[in-house]
Amino acid sequence: MSLGRLAVKRSLQGIGVVWGVITVVFALRFITPGSVINAVAPLDASQETRQAIAAELGLDQPLYVQYGQYLVELVQGDMGFSYVKGQAVVTMVFERVPATLELAVAATVVAIVLSIPLGVLSATRRNSPVDYGATLFSLGGISTPNFWLGIMLILVFAVQFDVFQTSGRGATSVAVVASLVGPEPFVGTLLEWLSYITLPAIALGTYFMALITRLTRSGMLDELGKSYVRAARAKGAPEALVRYKHALRNTLIPVITVLGLQLGTLIGGAVITEAVFAWPGLGTLVIQSINLRDWPALQGCLIVIGTAFVIVNIVVDIIYGYLDPRVVYD
Amino acid sequence: MPRDESESQVDRRTLLKAVGGAAATVSVAGCGGAQNTPTEGGDDGGDEDDGETETDTPMGDGETEDTPTDDGGEESFSVGVTLGQMDSGLDPHDHAETPTNIIVSQAYEGLMGRDKEGAIIAKLATEWERVEPGTARFTLRDGVTFQNGDELTSEDVRYSIRRVETEEVGGALPQDGDLAGTGTLENVEAGDGEVTVTFGGLNPIVFQLFATNGQVMQQSWVEENGTDFINRNVNGTGPFQLTGYESGTSVSYENYGDYWGEPAAADELTMTASSESSTRVNQLLAEETDIVTNVPPQEISRVQSSDVASVNPVPSTRIIFLQMRYDLEPFSSQQFRQAMNYAVDVESIVENVLQGFGEITGQPTLSQFTGHNPDIDPYGYDPDEAERLVEESGHAGVDITLQTPIGRYLRDVEIAQAAANQIDSLSNVNCELQQREFNSLVQDVTAPNIEDRPPFTLLGWGNAEFDASQTIVPLLTSDGALSILQNEEVDSLIEEAQNESNPDEREQVLQECNQLLHDLAPWVFLHQQFSVYGVSNNVQWQPRPDELIDAWTATQN
Repeated sequence: MSLGRLAVKRSLQGIGVVWGVITVVFALRFITPGSVINAVAPLDASQETRQAIAAELGLDQPLYVQYGQYLVELVQGDMGFSYVKGQAVVTMVFERVPATLELAVAATVVAIVLSIPLGVLSATRRNSPVDYGATLFSLGGISTPNFWLGIMLILVFAVQFDVFQTSGRGATSVAVVASLVGPEPFVGTLLEWLSYITLPAIALGTYFMALITRLTRSGMLDELGKSYVRAARAKGAPEALVRYKHALRNTLIPVITVLGLQLGTLIGGAVITEAVFAWPGLGTLVIQSINLRDWPALQGCLIVIGTAFVIVNIVVDIIYGYLDPRVVYD
Repeated sequence: MPRDESESQVDRRTLLKAVGGAAATVSVAGCGGAQNTPTEGGDDGGDEDDGETETDTPMGDGETEDTPTDDGGEESFSVGVTLGQMDSGLDPHDHAETPTNIIVSQAYEGLMGRDKEGAIIAKLATEWERVEPGTARFTLRDGVTFQNGDELTSEDVRYSIRRVETEEVGGALPQDGDLAGTGTLENVEAGDGEVTVTFGGLNPIVFQLFATNGQVMQQSWVEENGTDFINRNVNGTGPFQLTGYESGTSVSYENYGDYWGEPAAADELTMTASSESSTRVNQLLAEETDIVTNVPPQEISRVQSSDVASVNPVPSTRIIFLQMRYDLEPFSSQQFRQAMNYAVDVESIVENVLQGFGEITGQPTLSQFTGHNPDIDPYGYDPDEAERLVEESGHAGVDITLQTPIGRYLRDVEIAQAAANQIDSLSNVNCELQQREFNSLVQDVTAPNIEDRPPFTLLGWGNAEFDASQTIVPLLTSDGALSILQNEEVDSLIEEAQNESNPDEREQVLQECNQLLHDLAPWVFLHQQFSVYGVSNNVQWQPRPDELIDAWTATQN
């Protein structure tokens, strides 16, 4: 009941956010030098040709007319046509979403799998070599720019040792699942998928892994010093139970919040990693669209990214309440 | 409360289990991948088999290496091409840049084409002649079919020519003028197996234009389908037909069985892009692709020292120069402009910035083009003469700023830095460098009025028509779309050339014009850019000057 209300409220806020994004992007057209005409017409095109193309794209209209038209069409579910490619923006954007989502989830999995055990380990063995090692590792992870890490991973694991693919995207995760029942061999498809996604997932996940390791460690230390832990120990509860059932569970609450928010960031912010690995996701489309001043395509991407942020936040809120029953939605 | 607790505990356990399982899978698969990937690398992106059968790679396990001849027969031959940028939609008429042209040219053809040296060859027309001064007639090839199975008609050719040139057909498209040149298209007549085209003027380079531009589409196919469809599908007459299209990611072709000409050696062709040159080189070295464009000078040795690929350079049809606006001090002085030419050491730039991959120029027309004047020598590096000329021009002590785009041309920023430094080291000129994003710089460069164009800019110009006029008209005549020069003598020489129907006389006029432009020095003449391709040892392919990639000529090694 209250959960439903929360979802509705957040969705309305989300629509507001997306509307704000569109408005800001429209305002950007004012101050951004350059025009899409330069990406469409050759440099030596005559002024007449330029004007004719501008008219065809609707660029000769005043900006508020373009803005109004865009909003009206958007409400009807039409994101318009790309200025440069002449293709429908809806298809252009949505055929990119699976790739970005897949990479974001893979990076998050890489981050969780490594960071939470590492964080717990370094908290429970505080000031031991394990702790120092983990701290060093996570500091390194936080301070390594992920484009550099990406290039290094490619050089070592794709070019030097030829274990993984340098870039691009092979089989999709959907194809991997389909191969379980379909005619394609499962192992072959799975290996192909992994050979493409592993390096970008590591490059993208490292920063978050480092972040979450730090977060888990400090949270865990905090919890382990609390009185309920002392009470449990005094009661004679096994140490494993105290640590992993009681302390870790409470530690995970802020971790989940951060993870959720980061997943949102990953969907929108994997731009550089996607460029390094030529990963065909939303990030590469954002870059291309900005370079070409292809405003409709850029807006399409931003709408999807904004929406993803909002959805992820709603989901995080719901999970939060599930993990911590004290949280009340109002 | 206890129930709730146990429930979530199970969930957490399940989660941890799942996570642990995933970790195990990743590590196991990582090891498995280590053994399998070399075999995958060999088949070059072809996903038709799982890499089980292909063991003929340089990194193979050794035991199978003695059977290299095995793969000649039934095995399919696929070629991968990696460009710097993908297409801007597959409509062959609705674009004006090289990457799209490379991609659509695999399937679309014009009436005429060019060979590796740039000479005109027959494509969909078998013969062509100028029947009257402003009228050309093309005889169409028999038995040509579009990839949807329909036969090519003269109506289709008429439609395509008009689609390029007139706004009534297909709307305003950026290739306006690509076939009519500086004149207009008056009339296109579709006869029985021939097409007659009449222009508003003489159009002296009509066959040069048709050999480079004007790909033929099927009228009914274009009219029956929407813009989105035409930009995602292909229906040409060329050697390859489309099998898959992922916008901005990849374009896949297969050999078109009913092609009228000699079929391509490749059974499959995949075109992808990666804007990072280091990524392209990595793909080449990991044998994931066969041909990559624009290997930057600093990466050349890495490719050459590998045993899987080599670089293949060719002089391109692009010229790089610094243009100076004629109406603005100090560039309004011819002596000052000449001084700038003496001040820049092009030879050292080519040697040190471009590793020798560049040809020094002294006129706007490249040596492969009609109208090139072989008697003109480049200015040469002479700082003393430069200082003397600056002194003489009366602009000693002047401050100037050179603008350069970032990453548009091969090593543009580094070239501009070197040039600005050399000018700055003259005792009587201070030169600064301003780096600008290309799209915003172009906005200024193509401003409607010459007064709004930037005073001193590094620019490059590609000219795939191989004719002097295609560079001089837009860049150096009074009405040019991005001209920085207004000179009556140049204008009248070009006017004369555009109305001269005798090719020899026309060439003479253009040579005279080039001599004049050398002396006027509206540019600091830099170099002819080279296209440097990386080519895998698996394929045999020769690059061409016009920046096209004719993948249908690639053969298996």
